Amino acid sequence: MSAAVAAPANTGSRNRSFLLRVLSQRSAVIGLAIVLFFVALAVFAPWIAPYDPIASDWLSVRQAPSAAHWMGTDDLGRDVLTRVIYGAQASLLAGLIAVSIAILAGLPLGLIAGYFGGWVDTIISRCTDALLACPFLVLAIALAAFLGASLQNAMIAIGISAMPIFIRLVRGQVLTIKNEDFVTAARGQGMRDRSIILSHILPNVVTPVVVQATITMAVAILAEASLAFLGLGQRPPAASWGSMLDVARQFMLDAPWMSIWPGLAIVTIVLGFNLLGDGLNDALNQKDD
Amino acid sequence: MRTGRKLSIAAMVMMVAMSSASAASLKVGLQDDPDALDPALGGTYAGRIVFEALCDKLVDIDGDLNIVPKLATEWSWNDASTELTLKLREGVVYHDGTAFDAESVKANIERMQTLAESKRKSELSPIKEVEVVDTHTVIFKLESPFAPLLSVLTDRAGMMVSPAAAEAAGDNFATAPVCSGPFKFVDRKARDSISLEKFADYWNADAIGYDSIEYLILPDSTVRLSRLQAGDLDIAERIAPTDIQTVKGDSRLALHESQGLGVSHLFINVREDSGSALAQHPELRQALELSLDRAAINQVAFNGAFTADNQMLTPLSVFHSKDHPMPARDIEKAKELIATTGVEAPALEITYENSLTDGRVAQIIQAMAGEAGFKVELLPLETSTAIERYLAGNFQLYIGNWSGRTDPDATLNTFFGSAGSQNLNGYRNAELDELLDQARREVRQEERIALYNKVTDILLTDLPTIPLYHPSWFYGAQASIEGINIYPDGLLRVAGVKPAN
Repeated sequence: MSAAVAAPANTGSRNRSFLLRVLSQRSAVIGLAIVLFFVALAVFAPWIAPYDPIASDWLSVRQAPSAAHWMGTDDLGRDVLTRVIYGAQASLLAGLIAVSIAILAGLPLGLIAGYFGGWVDTIISRCTDALLACPFLVLAIALAAFLGASLQNAMIAIGISAMPIFIRLVRGQVLTIKNEDFVTAARGQGMRDRSIILSHILPNVVTPVVVQATITMAVAILAEASLAFLGLGQRPPAASWGSMLDVARQFMLDAPWMSIWPGLAIVTIVLGFNLLGDGLNDALNQKDD
Repeated sequence: MRTGRKLSIAAMVMMVAMSSASAASLKVGLQDDPDALDPALGGTYAGRIVFEALCDKLVDIDGDLNIVPKLATEWSWNDASTELTLKLREGVVYHDGTAFDAESVKANIERMQTLAESKRKSELSPIKEVEVVDTHTVIFKLESPFAPLLSVLTDRAGMMVSPAAAEAAGDNFATAPVCSGPFKFVDRKARDSISLEKFADYWNADAIGYDSIEYLILPDSTVRLSRLQAGDLDIAERIAPTDIQTVKGDSRLALHESQGLGVSHLFINVREDSGSALAQHPELRQALELSLDRAAINQVAFNGAFTADNQMLTPLSVFHSKDHPMPARDIEKAKELIATTGVEAPALEITYENSLTDGRVAQIIQAMAGEAGFKVELLPLETSTAIERYLAGNFQLYIGNWSGRTDPDATLNTFFGSAGSQNLNGYRNAELDELLDQARREVRQEERIALYNKVTDILLTDLPTIPLYHPSWFYGAQASIEGINIYPDGLLRVAGVKPAN
């Protein structure tokens, strides 16, 4: 097959230069550092957390930060630091799985709609429009309420809600790429549609999808926190930043540490993904040297 | 001369001060929007608070749950306890000018018994006939003795509305109710506010210190508290237990509280076919109770502001059994009991309405029972789904919140009588049914107390539910307001409430 010759758009060297461009941006590097920090927290939670995240201590309820409890304790006497660390697991997992669902469903649909056009495109695009017409969080709340409260269902709800963005993005990319010479050439050589999509179109949409995925991670993490805040996410007693905030809301004046730390964690991780996403986006849109 | 002028100026100042005081408006923050403002239809606690100002009832309770006169000044039972004779207050008129008399009482009872959507039908079902003796005497005739009748008349079933207005308004009565209370209805904005103004011809008008009342619907307790602190509200109901210290610490505010009639309990499905280990092994129910430290639950979840207890009836009630003190936590005994059943790490699932307070209580129970060897799962559900499951008996354990009633029959028969409307856990005990029936027919208090003592004995042995605590009522108010007295029913009685000076 002459596919490698016909598709010069995506090679290893190009990917490497993209990565270099990303790393040359300070904000992207900061974003990446923040994200890696939280990933490390989540992965090593059982080893670094000082306490059991669900072990209650009735004698130290709502205690201010101290040497024993660096971030204080919550309304059931659980260590806030420990729960913030374990909360990273729920948030990152929710972000990762939700975005994966969105990509796994959105990418093929976008490829099909963009490449084939016609009535297939019309049906997929109109359905996408309908989903996009509904605000992201409202859709996620409705789906989560329908599916029932659990972290797993929250992930599915967020994933489905985030899917239309990917369909639209991929479809747009495909529309511009499918008229490029190398695609016309491949078609002229008698390649089948499936092969063209997989070996010529797909590699060219991967980068924008990765950028979008990073930004969507931030949105998904925020959505998971919102759902948990509303009682539609992680089931108690497992830790989630959103549900920690929900409980802390009642003790805003008495025990501000209960809300400050999970709140700060949400802000920081969302900022991290946004910085990284922006950096990736800038790098993508820079002209080749 | 000069002193005379001074005096007259002083008198004028006083008059201005008095008129401004009497022109005062009372702003009350409510947690929920009441449903229909018709005593025959109402089904919400917030509605009962509004009714306190709007509709007088035949009899009332005092702080010790004694029955005291209101529209009825005297009452007596016949020897067979089948006829209750009520002497009615004279000189009382409804807001539309209709006289309050025996005929209107008869019309009210019959209206509440026959109105299609009436929620008072079962409460008033023991009354077979209302006989008008003279303009101010009625007799309620019963088929069989029913001791709780008077306590039923202390709530909405005893609230009298103008029969003429009810007839004229038909189905629209609730949109502009006409009663005989100290305040009359002016306006209502759904989910926003209810306005009442003072009824000049009220029989006890001297005790009324405000010219109007505005009830504002403010669902968030933090919002109610902050508006109270800002001076925007005069009184706010249901202050969160965790905010009590804030109110107490504010010299401009006062906290008014009362222990409540209600109970929060861990309702256990004991239906044989439920497949629950708790249903098959009474020892497990006992072990579960012994694994709980109720005082700690109260302390952790409610800052110790409520009353930890092992019975359904409030300790305020004379029917609360003194022979059954709250057992202390005993983890070792709980473990032993679990071991005798041979069930390895019995699995429990607690269903509850997804509120922060029930959620906190559920998590504490989960941790405490876990220490005894139970494996507890939590199932928080959105309110309507949770209630649907509750009513269908589709739960293993359910955190029930019962508002309570003045008379023990309304709690104990309703939950544990075989035919009780809240008997949703499949509990049946013929001996208990017999005792409940006897207590319902017995109007002599000492005998009733003895009967309910036996009832409590059976309930604490069978454990069809594990009572956890009795919530208290907390009202926050401006410290300058005088005369606020909260009784165990948690309602705001407006008679005697007045601005200082």
